[in-house]
Amino acid sequence: MTPWTRLRRTARVARAAAALFALYKLPAWWRRARGLPPRSGRALDATHERAARILLACALDLRGVLIKTCQAVATRSDQFPPAFVERLKQLHDAVPPKPFPLIRGVVERELGRPLGEVFARFDEAPLASASLAQVHAARLRDGREVAVKVQYPDIESIVRVDIRNLRRACRVYERLDPKPLELLPLLDELVTHTGYELDFLREAESAERVRSLFAEDDRVVVPAPFREWCTRRVLVMERVGGIKITDKAALVAAGLDPAEVVQHLMHVWVRMIMAEGFFQADPHPGNLFVTPEGRLVLLDFGLSKALPEGFGLGLFELMFSMMTLNEAAMLRAFEQLGFRTKTGDPSTFLLVARRMTSRSDSGRFEGEFTEEMTDELFEAIRQNPVVRVPTDFVLVGRAFGLLSGIAHTLGARANVLRALGSG
Amino acid sequence: MHDGTVAADAPLVWTREELLASDAYAEPLFAGDVRCHGGFDADGRYRSPRTRHRAPAIRAWQARLEREGAALVEIDRRLMPPQYPNAAQAALLVRHGVRDPVVRTLTLVSIVEGFGAVIRDVHVPDLRRLVVEPIDGTALAHLGAGLFEAHARDESGWRDEGGHKQMWEAARDLAFEKPRIPGDVLLRMMGRRSRAERGERWLPELDAGLERLVVTMAQVLAVEVFAAGTFGWGIELLSNPEVSAEPVRAADLVRYVQADESPHVEYLRTALSELRARTLRRADGGTMPGGEAVDRVLHRILHAMTRTRPREQREDLRATLAADMRAAADPEGLLEAFDALETPWTPPARTGFEPGAAAAG
Repeated sequence: MTPWTRLRRTARVARAAAALFALYKLPAWWRRARGLPPRSGRALDATHERAARILLACALDLRGVLIKTCQAVATRSDQFPPAFVERLKQLHDAVPPKPFPLIRGVVERELGRPLGEVFARFDEAPLASASLAQVHAARLRDGREVAVKVQYPDIESIVRVDIRNLRRACRVYERLDPKPLELLPLLDELVTHTGYELDFLREAESAERVRSLFAEDDRVVVPAPFREWCTRRVLVMERVGGIKITDKAALVAAGLDPAEVVQHLMHVWVRMIMAEGFFQADPHPGNLFVTPEGRLVLLDFGLSKALPEGFGLGLFELMFSMMTLNEAAMLRAFEQLGFRTKTGDPSTFLLVARRMTSRSDSGRFEGEFTEEMTDELFEAIRQNPVVRVPTDFVLVGRAFGLLSGIAHTLGARANVLRALGSG
Repeated sequence: MHDGTVAADAPLVWTREELLASDAYAEPLFAGDVRCHGGFDADGRYRSPRTRHRAPAIRAWQARLEREGAALVEIDRRLMPPQYPNAAQAALLVRHGVRDPVVRTLTLVSIVEGFGAVIRDVHVPDLRRLVVEPIDGTALAHLGAGLFEAHARDESGWRDEGGHKQMWEAARDLAFEKPRIPGDVLLRMMGRRSRAERGERWLPELDAGLERLVVTMAQVLAVEVFAAGTFGWGIELLSNPEVSAEPVRAADLVRYVQADESPHVEYLRTALSELRARTLRRADGGTMPGGEAVDRVLHRILHAMTRTRPREQREDLRATLAADMRAAADPEGLLEAFDALETPWTPPARTGFEPGAAAAG
């Protein structure tokens, strides 16, 4: 990365940060000076919307960690206003690809030989492109069809610069705002996760681990990595086709029941998280396919995570008690999972629990898991800001949020009690 | 439950609120530090939750069946396979410091109890359309109007009260002083592939909703009847002072669960018996004797359970037994002694619900 590029990125981040600051703080100071109450309601919503647009434009311009940051913000409905979550959600699957010559250069450098010596065919147009890498279809010289994930050139140094810039921006913000949002822990979390995602050898290991978890389950497919062609920046995996999980028309045309697909999907994640303690933490629709026989195909293990002992059972208890409307058991599960209030007063948890169990009073609750339920839980937590949410729960909650989004797209609901059992 | 004469004019129609109503307790039930359902009357006797009207209602429906000359479904207790590990085997393991298999089993029992709450999600089809004879004043007419909900609340607790799931957990924690729960406990439950044959029709002649209702009630009834073996096992094991730190309180909790389960068995066998005594409308417009449908399902379930259940319990335990026993001084000797205590059992040849058999009664 040239000094000029570094400077341009720093300046771009500084410009966006200054715009956000001006958007929120200048009106606040002005109103305070005139003795007016702080903005609220629709006025503030409009500001959030403008701020989200500024962030989105900056992320699309600089890509890299900026996109990852915005993706992380889009999953934190417990901390950020809905305008941010909605606007930045689009970064999950709308990143423009890099030109092929750059990609070819990375593959040849990493494998130490010309592309043609390894691949009989390598498609120039990518199958998918994301914040850190893009994926191309190819055929090995022995005839096996593969998917090749290639890291963008210079992405590691871009990530380093971006993280430094973001950290500076967060520190300035925390100094200037008397009641700042806790952004630095979020950034630390992002640094850890981005580190995982930039190491494709780790991703190959994670894929193998999840593959072994489902070795005896012929309803789940995890493509095998070809370790002899994997490096830190290039990942070559078996190519498995299928119907995109959110393509309802294609699922129905193949004779599959979207409700059963959703039920199976939910059970697979419940099993990884609660029973196995290791899971693919990024189940967005681009990473999930269904074969015409109804087998679920899992892709992209860059963000996979091992959970601490006891977490799975704690989460099981939380979801089970939520689904069986048992507030007292929910309180115990919150404690067991490591949720804490600043005062130690459990009444906050009781408020959250009551809010969840009150669904049954309206007759809306039928043992299902819905997108609204995830949103409602995080909203309840956001409205009771004394609650500290354990990091592992955030990642798991994000995964369930993505899963319930898929269910919503398919117009189907998973019965969680069934998913918590044998499926 | 049918404990004496029931007046011929005993009420047969109840509201949902009545079927969910509990007696007033002189003292609530606490399991460890968890407030549970049920409680004690002024004489110190345990009273099950939600039985204030549910118990007399079930007695009245059963008396009506009897008056109409219909038999109550009876599952032969000899079909019930022994628990594995049995109480003597479990006690042997604990005495040798191998607690994980027992803690794992107790935890799984508590979870399975809690899953009883799924009965709340069973959709009850329009039985007045699907059954030829009237169903007013029967258990069938009250399934979705309080009986399933009461059952669900009993199993997994509700609002600020624990249910059977929490009572089994408390019994385990009292007996073994809040033991470490083996990390693979959920894997044992979710890891195995579902053995159910999904999508297969058991009663293809019938409306799918009615078929699901019959199959679910028959399955839950079989599980509830067989649970008697688990209760006996739990009481014997947890009341053993060599094994249990709190032999009286821990075993009592299991006794309370057992008492609470009685209405479940009774309403399910009543509803299934009411269906047996009636005629069901087929999907093609014809009719089918209810007895044929119910017996076919019960035979299939009992035949499978008497063969698969002992094997599954054995496989589940043995999958980790060798690793669990490594903590013992003499693992090989312990395994030998453990195997010597196994209860021999051969499933009876007949379920009593074979096609054409006049099984019940």
